[in-house]
Amino acid sequence: MEARKTPQLTLSRGSARRDPIGQAHIIRSNTFQWTLVVAGVFAVFVIVLFGFIYRQVDQYLIARSDKMIGSQLNFIASLRSEHLLDAINDHLKQDSRGVQYAGLFNSDGRKIAGNLERLPPDLQINDSIQTISIERTLPVGTETHVIRANARHIPNGDALVIGREVDETKEISHVVAQALALGLLPGLCLCLLAGAWLSMRAQKRVEEVNQRVQRIIAGDLRERLPHGGIGGPFSKLTLIVNGMLDEMEAMIRALAGVGNDIAHDLRTPLTRARLTLERGRTNATTLEQLQLVADRAIANVDQSLAIITTLLRLAEIENSRRSAAFGIVSLHEMLQEVCDIYEPIAEIKNIALRFGVQQHLNVCGDRDLLFEAFANLVDNAIKFTSEGGRVVIELIRGNYETTVRISDTGPGINDQEREAVLRRFYRSDKIRSTPGMGLGLNLVAAIVKLHGFSLAIYPGPGGRLEVICPDHRSS
Amino acid sequence: MAGNEPMTKVLLIEDDSETAEEITAELTDRGFEVEWSATGIEGLDTARSLRPDAMIVDRLLPGMDGLSVIDALRKEQVRTPVLVLSALGAVDDRVRGLRMGGDDYLTKPFALVELVARIEALLRRPTESRETALRVGPLELDLIERTAKRGDRVIELLPREFRLLEYMMQRSDQLLTRAMLLEEVWKYKFVPATNLVDVHMGRLRHKVDGPGESPMIHNVRGAGFILRTEP
Repeated sequence: MEARKTPQLTLSRGSARRDPIGQAHIIRSNTFQWTLVVAGVFAVFVIVLFGFIYRQVDQYLIARSDKMIGSQLNFIASLRSEHLLDAINDHLKQDSRGVQYAGLFNSDGRKIAGNLERLPPDLQINDSIQTISIERTLPVGTETHVIRANARHIPNGDALVIGREVDETKEISHVVAQALALGLLPGLCLCLLAGAWLSMRAQKRVEEVNQRVQRIIAGDLRERLPHGGIGGPFSKLTLIVNGMLDEMEAMIRALAGVGNDIAHDLRTPLTRARLTLERGRTNATTLEQLQLVADRAIANVDQSLAIITTLLRLAEIENSRRSAAFGIVSLHEMLQEVCDIYEPIAEIKNIALRFGVQQHLNVCGDRDLLFEAFANLVDNAIKFTSEGGRVVIELIRGNYETTVRISDTGPGINDQEREAVLRRFYRSDKIRSTPGMGLGLNLVAAIVKLHGFSLAIYPGPGGRLEVICPDHRSS
Repeated sequence: MAGNEPMTKVLLIEDDSETAEEITAELTDRGFEVEWSATGIEGLDTARSLRPDAMIVDRLLPGMDGLSVIDALRKEQVRTPVLVLSALGAVDDRVRGLRMGGDDYLTKPFALVELVARIEALLRRPTESRETALRVGPLELDLIERTAKRGDRVIELLPREFRLLEYMMQRSDQLLTRAMLLEEVWKYKFVPATNLVDVHMGRLRHKVDGPGESPMIHNVRGAGFILRTEP
């Protein structure tokens, strides 16, 4: 009942009214924040991947270019000097993109042929590939180019230089960046959209759940949470909560039923008492008559008090989770004591009360409560057995359990009564004083349940009732 | 019962005036002098000044609850026996403590006759005696040999019958209600459906009051039993 006051509920209720699926909500929502984290991780991963690809491609292209420079140098250097100039010119002519460089310089460093104006100063003529920068004359000014080049002295002493522009890799990085932009941005957008959508959906479901929960709090016990049908964790949670709600609804209804039953059970003796008093007041003429009336009224009031006492006791037993107070109870001794107490009563009714025992057996439980339960069972058995009958208490050891069986030659418990007791026993359904039985058997059922034992009632004729105490699994 | 002795003073602490009136009337009829306080604090003051022989204290009182009143008095070394009245049926640890200390506990609603019987029992608590035998008129109980005799006649008793007779002889001339016997002799913590006490008492009476002997165990209609010499 206090749930109404929990701050969380009021908070979500209040803000939900102001801003059902607000933007602030989405950004603050857990789902969305997680999506952001995932998107960030994804972006970093993609950038690293593209960087790696860029490096690999760059290295590959440079290696290829170096190989080409080498083979061209070898080819041109191997030509005889008369073909040399033509070969250089042809080589440069074939290069439509203007990335090739070639030059032939005499030993003074003067240009003989090619598109290099002079021998680059930092170039070492040692037949090894190297990165150098050169200046290139344009119609207006000059520009610096970074190239890979190789130079070698040919047999006549001239220096042959073959080079190739490596600025191409810039283009590649450009392409990579473009690809990155094209791939990453839409990806990120998609991530954010998906995140927003997911968080919106979650928000919506939470909102829906909240509304239904509010209805349940308001007293609509039949309300249940919606389940989407798909077997997601949310649906599973919904199913669990709905199961819990089913159980609670049943319990609350049972409780209401109990209230009605109690009212009914109490009303009967109270009505009798009232009628007795009313008639007595009008009709009694002597003190004796008045005393008789008072006695009858007191008896009826006592009966209703006894019902209340038993009901309170029942509630006390069911609410007590005092298994901590459990100890080892010697069933044999306890049943013997029950027999001793009831023996005179059985004798008065000329009933043979027999106690058959195979061995001494112990169970784990609350001695007082178990005593009450067995005393009740024996009490009932004697009460419902007619004169000259027999009541037998047996203590039987099974493979995995200890059984106390109480059988009598009475009429037995009919199906309807059995139903009433067992229903109450398995689901807190109804506390009904089953006719002629009082609430005693219900008390027994509650005690048995508290101990984790089970109660078996066999159909008549002849009453037969068993309390089955399974061996304790743990401890 | 009071005779020429000074009247026995009983302090009643109970907030419901109608209940208090009934209890006061009943106890006055029985020869007690009753003082009534409606709250715990007032009751505590009265208890200090009046020095009653016994107290009847409602457990739920406005201001200071009944058990706190008793605790306060016990701290002041006041040993007055107390009968606690309560609407709470469940017997908890504090109540167990009370009973161990010689006080008593009665659940509302109760019969007036039960209340009076318990007050009488509290006032006449048997003193711890080292006697090995109990004697009431011709009745004799040997607590060591576990034997019973009425005059020269030996009475064969079952263990529980012996315990019942012992309890009654310690409290001869007192009204013992069924609930008191169930609690003290049978140690029952519940009221059984069948009238167990009557049946066992019937048997005991059959053994104690032989043919031709004047009855000693008396049934007080609607209340309980008394063991006494004179009829």
